Amino acid sequence: MKSVEIRNCNSRFHKNIGKYTVSLKDSCFHCGLCVEICPYCVFDRIDGFNHVSTPNSAGCLGPDCKEGPYYCTTKCPVDAIKIELDPQWKTLGDFRWTPDLIITTWQQAETGEIPRGNLEYRIGASGGGFDVFDFTIDDVTAISSEEIDNIITSDKISTSICLNRRGEGPSIEIPVPWYGAGMSFGSISLPSILARAHSAKAWKTFTSTGEGGYPDELIPYSNHVITQIATGLFGVSEETIKRTPIIEFKYAQGAKPGLGGHLLGDKNTPGVAKMRETVPWNSLFSPFPFHSVYSVEDHKKHIDWVKTINPDALISVKVSTPSDVDMVAVGSYYAGANIIHLDGGYGGTGAAPEIAKKNIAMPIEYAITKVHKFLLEEGVREEIVLLASGGIRTAFDIAKSIVLGADGAIIGTSDLIALGCVRCGNCESGRGCPRGIATTDPELEKQIDPSWGAQRIINLYASWQKQLKLLLYKLGLKDIKELRGRTDFLKHIDEK
Amino acid sequence: MKNKDVIRLIESRRKLSSPGGLKKLEMEGGCGVVGLACNEKISGKHIMQSLIQMHNRGNSKGGGIAALGLNSSQCGVSQKILEEDYLIQVAYLDPSVRHQVEKEFIISNLDVHTSYPLPTLKDYRAVDGLDMKPPEVWRYFCRVKDKALSQFILKNNLDALERPKAEDEFIYQNTYKLNNKFYTSLGEKRAFVLSHGRNMIILKIVGYAEQLIEYYQIENLEAHIWVGHQRYPTKGKVWHPGGAHPFMGMNEALIHNGDFANYYSIAEYLSQRNIYPLFLTDTEVAVLLFDLLHRVYEYPLEYIIEAIAPTTERDFYLLPEEKRKIYRAIQTSHIHSSPDGPWFFIIGQTNIKQKSFQLLGITDTSMLRPQVFAFQENGVSIGLVASEKQAIDATLRSLHQEDKRFLPYADFYWNARGGSYTDGGAFIFTVKGKNLVITDKFGRRISVNKEHDCPPINISAGKSEDVDPAEKIKEFTKTIDQRWRIPIKDRACALSNTEEYLNEIFLSMSAQKQAENLYRYTDWEKIDSLSPPKSQKEVLVINCEKFPAEGSQSISRFIVEAYQLGWKNFITFNWRGQRFCGCGLGSESNDVRIDVFGSSGDYLASGLDGAEIVVHESAQDQIAQIMKSGKLVVYGDVGQTFMYGAKGGEVYVLGNAAGRPLINAVGAPRVVINGTCLDYLAESFMAGNPLEGGGFVILNGLKFSEKGEITELETPYPGGNLFSLASGGAIYIRDPFSKVEEGQLNGGRLIELTEKDWELILPYLEENERLFNIPVKRLLSPNGELRSFNQVYRKVEAVELKVLQKGHR
Repeated sequence: MKSVEIRNCNSRFHKNIGKYTVSLKDSCFHCGLCVEICPYCVFDRIDGFNHVSTPNSAGCLGPDCKEGPYYCTTKCPVDAIKIELDPQWKTLGDFRWTPDLIITTWQQAETGEIPRGNLEYRIGASGGGFDVFDFTIDDVTAISSEEIDNIITSDKISTSICLNRRGEGPSIEIPVPWYGAGMSFGSISLPSILARAHSAKAWKTFTSTGEGGYPDELIPYSNHVITQIATGLFGVSEETIKRTPIIEFKYAQGAKPGLGGHLLGDKNTPGVAKMRETVPWNSLFSPFPFHSVYSVEDHKKHIDWVKTINPDALISVKVSTPSDVDMVAVGSYYAGANIIHLDGGYGGTGAAPEIAKKNIAMPIEYAITKVHKFLLEEGVREEIVLLASGGIRTAFDIAKSIVLGADGAIIGTSDLIALGCVRCGNCESGRGCPRGIATTDPELEKQIDPSWGAQRIINLYASWQKQLKLLLYKLGLKDIKELRGRTDFLKHIDEK
Repeated sequence: MKNKDVIRLIESRRKLSSPGGLKKLEMEGGCGVVGLACNEKISGKHIMQSLIQMHNRGNSKGGGIAALGLNSSQCGVSQKILEEDYLIQVAYLDPSVRHQVEKEFIISNLDVHTSYPLPTLKDYRAVDGLDMKPPEVWRYFCRVKDKALSQFILKNNLDALERPKAEDEFIYQNTYKLNNKFYTSLGEKRAFVLSHGRNMIILKIVGYAEQLIEYYQIENLEAHIWVGHQRYPTKGKVWHPGGAHPFMGMNEALIHNGDFANYYSIAEYLSQRNIYPLFLTDTEVAVLLFDLLHRVYEYPLEYIIEAIAPTTERDFYLLPEEKRKIYRAIQTSHIHSSPDGPWFFIIGQTNIKQKSFQLLGITDTSMLRPQVFAFQENGVSIGLVASEKQAIDATLRSLHQEDKRFLPYADFYWNARGGSYTDGGAFIFTVKGKNLVITDKFGRRISVNKEHDCPPINISAGKSEDVDPAEKIKEFTKTIDQRWRIPIKDRACALSNTEEYLNEIFLSMSAQKQAENLYRYTDWEKIDSLSPPKSQKEVLVINCEKFPAEGSQSISRFIVEAYQLGWKNFITFNWRGQRFCGCGLGSESNDVRIDVFGSSGDYLASGLDGAEIVVHESAQDQIAQIMKSGKLVVYGDVGQTFMYGAKGGEVYVLGNAAGRPLINAVGAPRVVINGTCLDYLAESFMAGNPLEGGGFVILNGLKFSEKGEITELETPYPGGNLFSLASGGAIYIRDPFSKVEEGQLNGGRLIELTEKDWELILPYLEENERLFNIPVKRLLSPNGELRSFNQVYRKVEAVELKVLQKGHR
């Protein structure tokens, strides 16, 4: 994609968090050998200075480069370089978003490159879901760097998907098999929303409003912004329906099926309340169903309605994964949907009650396969786009969803990680996010500069596309569409 | 029946082998339902138009009808045989099994008096749009052979049972065995029994119900009761009509719109009584449950309804002590087998003993599915119930064309309030002899004081040629709008006649030259030739009759296209239930006005943002959702989920709103409802502080008496969950006799109005007076004597709820 410009984009914090801390002992006499040999710029000596600067620990691969020619600790003549695990590393994340995953996502957001070293950037450590699947090929990075460069820069391998596979209506193609999930104004800050929208525009893909309304600042990006219609109908008007290429009906959220949206009082600031036209500081709950939709013929009527307002819009139907999700999907198809969006339970929403998180509905990897097969049996699979979301963290998660039967995926949390999220999990309460992402506090939200944030997400997507291209190359495929349903490429991690 | 006999009867079914498992295979989707009952026999073709106009509630994957109270000569039998014999109809999906089926299940046990195949069109493809051949259907008039019945009684110790009851049970079990052998959802599907009751038939196909009427040539079949069903199953591939509605009990045909959440629980309950569903849909278990309660347990209708749709919460405590005792007992035994979730049943039933026919409509307790009841009496009495009002009007219009005693509009329309102490959520039309009686669940008769004539309406402007059409339109429109002020017996007449005159004026415009006129006529045939208006004032008069209900060719899209051409004034007439009127105009439509005449459809004005829409009839469901600004006036009632998620605008409703109005509304909607609402008014209302620009609802609690006078309703709001979990906005409720109590609220608070409140709402009441001729002075004079505003109105305001407060998790 030539229109996507990848630029180095450092963390907005002075000191990056990495897996290791590198320090120089007093015995160091600043010979500068380490500065010369380290290819990852951990060491630096500013021109005109005698002393080596404080090491940039985040760039260090740790003991992984022991075998290489540039392993600094053994080369140091006075044995002054000390490499330890960074105590902060351990405190990051959780089993799904491991410290390695978070750090490597940051790295990708900085550089737009596939992470180096042995940090695990493909899977987490949850012991289930996508973390127990692997591809039946060797590590994709184990080819020469020249070859890699050739593959990832060439256009011979396609990662694009079409979002309208029905015979009628506008054709919308996105160059990467994913777009951004709905995150409302209120759940995340306006600068974060703008960063996501800007990167969606750069990548010619999409992001979604969520159910908090459509801030005017998003209008310049309207060709890349999906208008979500959720059960609270907050901020939905004819204008927001008219200006979007895709309308997303949110029936349920995978993280809390059977529950409506939540926005707890503290985050309902006057700004948010104005956008949603509600009373500030009151918690907002959306009903769990659409009050106007209690059956599939109501659903069809709902779709016919927005089609009356905007006849050119594609329709996406977002549902969670109950045991009869296949029926829901096929019903949505017959009612005229272009996209079925399956939202599994691994994903996001800081505001979901603990009891609901991961305790209801079917794991996404089961749901994808179930729906894919059912649509095949019904003979309508080629008419509809099936997208998966809910805990899709990495390029490999995307690839795995496609292998299981989806056409592509929808990304939420990863965007936020790129913006510097540390997965502290305090999104829903108080003023919200200490890192200024999931907040509506006017002071905190200043932390994010939208153009900086956009570049971070652009870079992350670039790295992902490279990984997908490499993977396809390794599998002998030329197009991401060929990957769909090829479960023969996948093995359970326990399989030898 | 004695307890012991009930047990024996249930025991006798133990020998019926279960098909194994209770898995629900057929997913029910939504549906369109309609039923009618008339004291005269009515031809099948009249229900066709309702079914056609509810096409969009089905998807061609199932259509069905039932007819009860038939004409003996049309059936080719004597009246005696029609009344006494079982009328068994078998659908042969595989015609080659007929001899085997007849040998095993018909001839062997039954005395067949007459049998014949139903006539059909020669080629099913002659029916427009019918893709799948409907089954071959044979009809058998028969009784159980005396000897076979005696053996059956002996074998099952049913000697204490009345013989006719044993015969019913024999037929029931015979059908079960036949279906189990030749149908069962697990094996090969070759034949099944469509119906086996007395004086009733059921037919169903894969297709639309009106195609069925055409294919089986029953346009002229006469019956007292008709029910029709358009099915919309979620699953795509359907090759046989076994899952289509209606489903039969013994003498019942049941159709259903909705989906149970507790199919397994009910199926389990039934299986404990040796009853097993064979068609695996929740509709089937519903009718099996009904049959159990009705025929085996012999519950009166009221108790059956209570067992299916229990009275709960505040409504329960408002029942008389005696009823509470019985209902509690019923609920204790049946609550786990009562269907949970959204459902609406229409049941047609023949009562052999009482020699009557009944049509029932029952809603779930939360009224989650659409339902409208209607009644008309004009020399002939007809009761109707359907998913949409427009479908009722369609049948009436069809009848009107053939027989002028019928009028295109009913005398009145109403909704049932599910699980309530007021009407019990069910209404029953009973045809007995020459009479049609309406009762609610509690058996209370809905009295209709009506003389049997339709006097001509005196319209002063007349039809004289020299009167300006604008004047005529104004005059006739006023007559339509003011029909509530005349005695009820004349209302439907006034509406029908005036509408006819008005339509004549509109239609006559098609012949007029454009240049001379301020009006331009257009219709479905002329849509492609529409040019921009010659002046801002020119009115586009659209005959909506033939436009499709939705999609790119729909009337709503045509209005948008005309608007884009520069049209601002619209008169639209002959609405036939088309949806989305006024949708898509967008935010800069402030100077647009649309007048709506006829039977408008769902979602009217949804998304309205500036324009004005005036509906001169009752409107339907999901009106004015997410409305943002503009004005809506409805000279009648509005349906379910009215103004869901609305953000603003001014709305005036002359009549009532059905369930769940203004749920999740925010911003500043300002609404006057002159009648009342069912449950859940303004739940989760979040419309700021009304005194500082927020939104509110004024509920006047009025009705028009049979004489056409403004009178107070018994209570301005009968339901519960008023303003529940609301965090902003207010309800100004006109409650001079303090009928509304704290118990009806859920989180709100009743307070006295201040001067500021009155200043706020007075302009809206004045506009209400201007529109509907309901004087503010009359509003303030509940007993004829003028009171101060705060002795008439009460305010419901939001209180900060713990669950909604800051930081509550």
